[in-house]
Amino acid sequence: MTDVPVSRIRNFSIIAHIDHGKSTLADRLLQVTGTVSSREMKEQFLDNMELERERGITIKLQAARMNYTGEDGEQYVLNLIDTPGHVDFSYEVSRSLAACEGALLVVDASQGVEAQTLANVYLALEHNLEIIPVLNKIDLPGAEPDRVKGEIEEIIGLDCSGAILASAKEGIGITEILESIVHLVPPPRDTVQEKLRALIFDSYYDPYRGVIVYFRVMDGTLKKGDRIRLMASGKEYEIDELGVLSPNQVQVDELHAGEVGYLAAAIKAVQDARVGDTITLATAPASAPLPGYTEAKPMVFCGLFPTDADQFEDLREALEKLRLNDAALQYEPETSSAMGFGFRCGFLGLLHMEIVQERLEREYDLDLITTAPSVIYKVTTNTGEELFIDNPSHLPDPQHREKIEEPYVQVDMITPEEYVGTLMELSQSRRGVFKDMKYLTQGRTTLTYELPLAEVVTDFFDQMKSRSRGYASMEYHVIGYRENPLVKLDVLINGEPVDPLATIVHRDKAYYVGKALVEKLKELIPRHQFKIPIQAAIGSRIIASEHIPALRKDVLAKCYGGDISRKKKLLQKQAKGKKRLKAIGTVDVPQEAFMAVLKLQ
Amino acid sequence: MKSPLAPLPPTAAYLHIPFCRRRCYYCDFAVSVVGDQQRGETSRAIAQYVEVLCQEIRATPNLGLPLQTVFFGGGTPSLLSVAQLQQILAVLEDHFGFAAAVEISMEMDPGTFARSHLQGYLAAGVNRVSLGVQAFQQELLAACGRTHTPEDIETAVALLRQEGVQNLSLDLIAGLPHQTMVDWQESLERAIALQPTHISVYDLTVEPVTAFGRWYQPGVAPLPTEEATAEMYRTAQRYLTAAGYTHYEISNYAKPGFQCRHNRVYWENQSYYGFGMGAASYTQLQRFTRPRKRAEYFEWVNQLQQAAGQIDCPPTTPEECWLDTLMLGLRLAEGLALTDLTAQFGQAKVDQLLQSLASFSQCGWVQFQEAPTGKRICLTDPEGFLFSNVVLTHLFNVSSG
Repeated sequence: MTDVPVSRIRNFSIIAHIDHGKSTLADRLLQVTGTVSSREMKEQFLDNMELERERGITIKLQAARMNYTGEDGEQYVLNLIDTPGHVDFSYEVSRSLAACEGALLVVDASQGVEAQTLANVYLALEHNLEIIPVLNKIDLPGAEPDRVKGEIEEIIGLDCSGAILASAKEGIGITEILESIVHLVPPPRDTVQEKLRALIFDSYYDPYRGVIVYFRVMDGTLKKGDRIRLMASGKEYEIDELGVLSPNQVQVDELHAGEVGYLAAAIKAVQDARVGDTITLATAPASAPLPGYTEAKPMVFCGLFPTDADQFEDLREALEKLRLNDAALQYEPETSSAMGFGFRCGFLGLLHMEIVQERLEREYDLDLITTAPSVIYKVTTNTGEELFIDNPSHLPDPQHREKIEEPYVQVDMITPEEYVGTLMELSQSRRGVFKDMKYLTQGRTTLTYELPLAEVVTDFFDQMKSRSRGYASMEYHVIGYRENPLVKLDVLINGEPVDPLATIVHRDKAYYVGKALVEKLKELIPRHQFKIPIQAAIGSRIIASEHIPALRKDVLAKCYGGDISRKKKLLQKQAKGKKRLKAIGTVDVPQEAFMAVLKLQ
Repeated sequence: MKSPLAPLPPTAAYLHIPFCRRRCYYCDFAVSVVGDQQRGETSRAIAQYVEVLCQEIRATPNLGLPLQTVFFGGGTPSLLSVAQLQQILAVLEDHFGFAAAVEISMEMDPGTFARSHLQGYLAAGVNRVSLGVQAFQQELLAACGRTHTPEDIETAVALLRQEGVQNLSLDLIAGLPHQTMVDWQESLERAIALQPTHISVYDLTVEPVTAFGRWYQPGVAPLPTEEATAEMYRTAQRYLTAAGYTHYEISNYAKPGFQCRHNRVYWENQSYYGFGMGAASYTQLQRFTRPRKRAEYFEWVNQLQQAAGQIDCPPTTPEECWLDTLMLGLRLAEGLALTDLTAQFGQAKVDQLLQSLASFSQCGWVQFQEAPTGKRICLTDPEGFLFSNVVLTHLFNVSSG
């Protein structure tokens, strides 16, 4: 690796909405700078995880160091620090932006600015980043660069006279982008002489080398063999391996202020080297850590129970392994009278929750029952004690509580004008408080609501997408707790309360939710040889009730030569469906029933 | 699991005659509709089909044993001309040979055949007739798209009796749209009064790709409730056993000595030949279903001839064979003999089976019997039969681990 002076380093990230072409552009930059040969180029080099590729989103960050000879003949080192593209991971975005001096704002020239992009641009502006607007997909017939430029200027207030017209796919505008990075993005401050401070912007667990930490050296110098201290966790390690990402790991002996790299130091779990923590030298520690470190706090909770009780230990092991690599994942054992042993898990958001569930089922081959997501409620008891409740079944009885507060978020949506009505209706129906509406440009509107987080973590995002035919986008951030008249809605199956089905709802919606919930459960729970009452109750008061009629027969009338194969398939399908049932007392309940509260019309 | 013994070579042959005057509203079989005026004597489509069917028989390897049973199903086999039936039977006999006591069954629909046809079929060798009666009420017959009337039933039975058909089976359907318990009792009584040797009682299955599938939902009016059809099933069991019929299979009743030997082959999980459009065969452990569409079936026969009669299809695995044996054998009142199961699948498999049936024995659906030939397990009649799928799906899950 060539040693370059700080003045010829440029650190930048790319801000873009899903599908606006971030990964393609990143790939193209790697290719044009010769960092990755065309032969090595898998499509979308930076999205490594199988799930990321499938969903077309970036979950874990990556970084890449590129050598670039500018048109001025100078050798530059360009470090691209990738950012995850989802609202659940905004803390990680802020840390990777803090490691940069500039950002490419990539906007699809046929679409325009989306809510998530906007949120990230504001984050970048907070960090004083130089922002270079790039209009991507300029080759598409629907491209409207002038309209989109106008939109960026109006919405963000960013001068777009110098915006680069590009097509990452076709290789248009790539050199211009590289030159702009060199000329517009400021070099890092030259603080090589100061005490070491390096910012961790990502880490992952490697079973052979321990945690691999990705960092940006902000001040000073770091050498292989140095003893380092992580300022937030206070832990000390000796560096076994130091290197840069090009984008594959290449070992070096030393990194100095301005450079981006990775290290391995036999760190056992990612929570020991959290994103945002500051690395300093144990022998000559910096006096203060870099600003901005917080521990990512889970916002959404759910119970995870193995369908088969024998898988409990497997589930524990799988969660332990995932946690090595995911500091934001929290879990603790949960025992439910209905479900047996499982775990209460905390996630950054719904996507994070889905990803973890999917990985558990896919990579660890577990059959799981997931209970409906819940948020953390703040309950004040009669004795003035404040409790944080992440599990509806743990809510103290009404006579013991003074008040319940629930987390609120500000939701910003950007939508074509014609969907404003239906999105307002959606927000109102979810107890939203209207805050603001702005016409951005012709046909595009921002809509701001304050909503209880509990209403957002159900199917708000899916509803927003389907009501706007996929055109609207949203972003949310927590704004605090508010008191509301909330009640616990219990569900009784065959007379027995089923705690994982309990949910906390607004008093005014309780009757409606209870009725819809028992109707949905009636649909989802198969018939048994006996009649099964299903009831929704608040305290001891039944507010809705249905019953599943008894099964009177289950028999194949005909089975002759020609029927055998088909009838067997039928039975096999029926058998498979049965297998995924969870026995609650004498009633077998399918997995979907535990998510029923999310599927109410 | 120990590798099960391959079944003996087939001694049964099923022939599919896929022609009907009209399609009944509940039917999802492979059939082609020829209209009210056509029969084998006049229809070019039928003539051509019989040719291809005979080619298929000739192209199929003879696995060594003469046929004990032959079954003409459909469709409406009674639309065949006498000459066509003779030709098919001649080709079959020539190719495989017939055992001395061969059972030759033929499905016939009231109103589709004249005395002369019947005389010709019987002369050609047919010695068992299965008559598609379904119901004895005109409105019910019309509501399910049948072309015959209650009078046609009486006429057909009289004709069969006059021509000396002894071994006669009637089909009835329970759970038809608008059918009441009174209708059902009347149908049972009238069927019994005709003194057939065999009665099949089918609970209506609403298949998705049928007219009924589009119009009706099981258990929802005008179809009788599930409770009502379960009661119809029990009523049939009471009436027919009282009249001297043995309930020998979930949907079948027979006077002593008149069980359908051909159909027992299926339930005993033995091998059988199959010929014709959509027909299934089980030969040399291969379960194979022929194309359901005419042109594809013709093309397939063509290929079969070129492949010297070899069918391209994987053999049934021991595990599949085990499930087939359970699914089919438990349909019979006599159930399964433990010694046979042990000989074929091994002690471990049978122990597991007995263990997983214990809870069903407690609730009265499964019985362990001591027969002179050894221990047997069977479903109880009628409750075990009525919930047979609950038992089977449990066994399937236990088996798949």
